[in-house]
Amino acid sequence: MRTLLIGLLLATPAVAQDQASRAVGLAAWEDIFAVASHPRCTNCHVGDDGVPMWNELGYGADAAHGMYVHAGESRVGAETMPCRTCHISKISDNATPHAPPMIDDAWRLPPPELAWLGKSSEEVCAQLRNPDTNDGFAMDGLATHLETSAFVAWGFAPGAGRSAPPGTLDDMIAALDIWAAAGTPCADDP
Amino acid sequence: MKLTVNGTSHVVDVEEDMPLLWVLRDELGITGPKYGCGIAQCGACTVHVDGIAVRSCQLAAGDVSGDITTIEGLGTPAVLHAVQEAWIDLQVAQCGYCQAGQIMQAASFLDLNPTPTDDQIDAAMSGNLCRCGSYPRIRAAVKSAATKLKGV
Repeated sequence: MRTLLIGLLLATPAVAQDQASRAVGLAAWEDIFAVASHPRCTNCHVGDDGVPMWNELGYGADAAHGMYVHAGESRVGAETMPCRTCHISKISDNATPHAPPMIDDAWRLPPPELAWLGKSSEEVCAQLRNPDTNDGFAMDGLATHLETSAFVAWGFAPGAGRSAPPGTLDDMIAALDIWAAAGTPCADDP
Repeated sequence: MKLTVNGTSHVVDVEEDMPLLWVLRDELGITGPKYGCGIAQCGACTVHVDGIAVRSCQLAAGDVSGDITTIEGLGTPAVLHAVQEAWIDLQVAQCGYCQAGQIMQAASFLDLNPTPTDDQIDAAMSGNLCRCGSYPRIRAAVKSAATKLKGV
């Protein structure tokens, strides 16, 4: 599919090609945002308050993480209760409902500049293409990050009936490649 | 499998996926840590691994990497930990079932954050449930222990 799209882009005049590339890129972005805006991602991609969420876990709308969890400036709860008090850094099938998920990485919140919770598609789009707000990644690095992150892998297979974002990790990486090849367009670009 | 608990090394013949709490209680006879929920929702089983509070009911024995401390190894009757002293001074416990976990959580918390705000105390201790409702005394004791520890 990707080869076909690139072939089509190469076969058209420059202006039309730019428009087609942008349209293809924006369509790919929508697939990316469908994942990035899913609660499995936004429950941890939260802002300065450092309060993770428990949305889409059956605890009602806008449910904050139980136990009054505050990850603090450290983003790992060092000021209060460390994430690892409950989220063990070992791989698990995470088969027990309501038990804390465990992965082969230190459980933590992303930095606050990576906050996506409550943000629009255009806002998250601008964040993800900017190394200042995407954890310092160029686009190829971002794809590698998706491939290798234990958090991302768990997000697509969270276990125990927990909801998962649409599609697969491979779909997400393919969409990222298309969006990057199209110049990372955002819908509100001039 | 080799585990170090309260400064003593133990060799135990258990399955890798046996929860640490089972090893402590049933294999080693260390019964301070209590079973509450089995899924890290209540905190009764809290012990330290290398000083960090963890819920031993859902930590597989094979995944333990570090020295374990239980309430039995936090202080001694002669030399109590400051948190234990505060617990006695303020008579925190009611039925007592959750208190070993509460004390272990508080001790680890104050080690990481010796000058906590009231809100940080609430956030640190909210994962440890007390069905007797001793929360106001728990908060007061943590504050008292923090003051004592600062004076050391």
